[in-house]
Amino acid sequence: MELLCLEMDTVIRARPDPNLLYDERVLQSLLTIEERFLPQCSYFKCVQKDIQPFMRRMVATWMLEVCEEQKCEEEVFPLAMNYLDRFLAVVPTRKCNLQLLGAVCMFLASKLKETRPLTAEKLCIYTDNSIKPQELLEWELVVLGKLKWNLAAVTPNDFIEHIMRKLPLPKEKLALIRKHVQTFIALCATDFNFAMYPPSMIATGSFGAAICGLQLDNGDQSLWGDNLTDLLAKITNTEVDCLKACQEQIERVLVSSLREGRRQQQQQQQEQAGPRSKALDELDQSSTPTDVRDIDL
Amino acid sequence: MCRTMSINLSKRILTALSNGPTRRNLFGPVDREQLQLEYQDSLRKDLEDASRRWGFDFLTETPLEGGDFQWEGISGTKVPALYRSCMVGAVEVLRPRGASGLGSAAAQSGKENIPRTPNRDSLKPQSLEKTPEKTQSNNQSNKLKRKQTNITDFYQAKRRVVATPRKSGQ
Repeated sequence: MELLCLEMDTVIRARPDPNLLYDERVLQSLLTIEERFLPQCSYFKCVQKDIQPFMRRMVATWMLEVCEEQKCEEEVFPLAMNYLDRFLAVVPTRKCNLQLLGAVCMFLASKLKETRPLTAEKLCIYTDNSIKPQELLEWELVVLGKLKWNLAAVTPNDFIEHIMRKLPLPKEKLALIRKHVQTFIALCATDFNFAMYPPSMIATGSFGAAICGLQLDNGDQSLWGDNLTDLLAKITNTEVDCLKACQEQIERVLVSSLREGRRQQQQQQQEQAGPRSKALDELDQSSTPTDVRDIDL
Repeated sequence: MCRTMSINLSKRILTALSNGPTRRNLFGPVDREQLQLEYQDSLRKDLEDASRRWGFDFLTETPLEGGDFQWEGISGTKVPALYRSCMVGAVEVLRPRGASGLGSAAAQSGKENIPRTPNRDSLKPQSLEKTPEKTQSNNQSNKLKRKQTNITDFYQAKRRVVATPRKSGQ
């Protein structure tokens, strides 16, 4: 017999724990405590002078890209954005320090959620070395102090499995739906309009948008329009009207960011191809979808 | 099929949001001096808050007047080794040797702060014996050993228990 010691470089993860995921009390506890981790105010109005909403979007997009490139766990990015918003809600910050703050928040969220966290050095490289690892470590302490070391915040991702198991979804579609919901949650985190929403509402709204967008609502009657909204609202005790508004907002953000991406692409192509392709681009632009159902997800 | 579809959406959103390479400086150069000032300032404020909260001056290690808490000194030997102030020094003196091995291992994988077994080649047995944890807790562990029940103690006790009924039966 051979004795093998295998130390592989793969991430070892725990199996989904039915005691946590199939217990109603866990969901109720999440709903009870989630408000504690929301930013205290709409900080662009009352705290910040130097930074503006579009700068938050810039740093958020950069953070999302880093997390994707480094294949971070899904909840790292939304959690990091929660830290960023909570910090900005209490500390007036200059825009030249915003990227440092973003890096620190990713550093913390990654340490909390991952078995192999992002390193300070790597994060500094992603800022194009505009910050040093030493500064990152120092500001880690500052951010921790301002967050009162409350790092285990509730994120929309915490609700995914709880909501999913209560919906009559076809088994073979679960992975696809989960992925889409995660994508919508990340998209919401890049947009400041969602920063003050309870995580459960963002999660529920993302489910609505994903199921509707994937047009899974043809078969089961309980997944049709209003039925779905009612069902979702019941699961997380959300007001039906709020949920509807949230879902529509998510769909609008999705459409507008895809449209913006298209515009940028065309701009780049135009710069490369010169003025001749202009007419073609205009033709293209008119076919940009304006409804989430028109997008071929 | 499902996977390609799902990857498509997040990829499309990501490319839609992003512009250029991920490695980029977003808002120009950082004012290092100002940053350092703000850092020191923030730490000082945190310390002041903590002093007020606990009614204790952490710099001079003396209780403050009129706080909510009554402070009482106890001997350092009564607290777990973790809380002894001399620990910090001990770790730092001993660290360079062990840390160089760990550091290089971490650098190779690009991840840090994870406990890992060092390469067998890079760490000699002697240096393993000198890991800071062991050296610090030497005194502690000796004490613990004396208190700890040996497995042979258990056997003696068991023997006695087994023996008792036999005696009473006689």
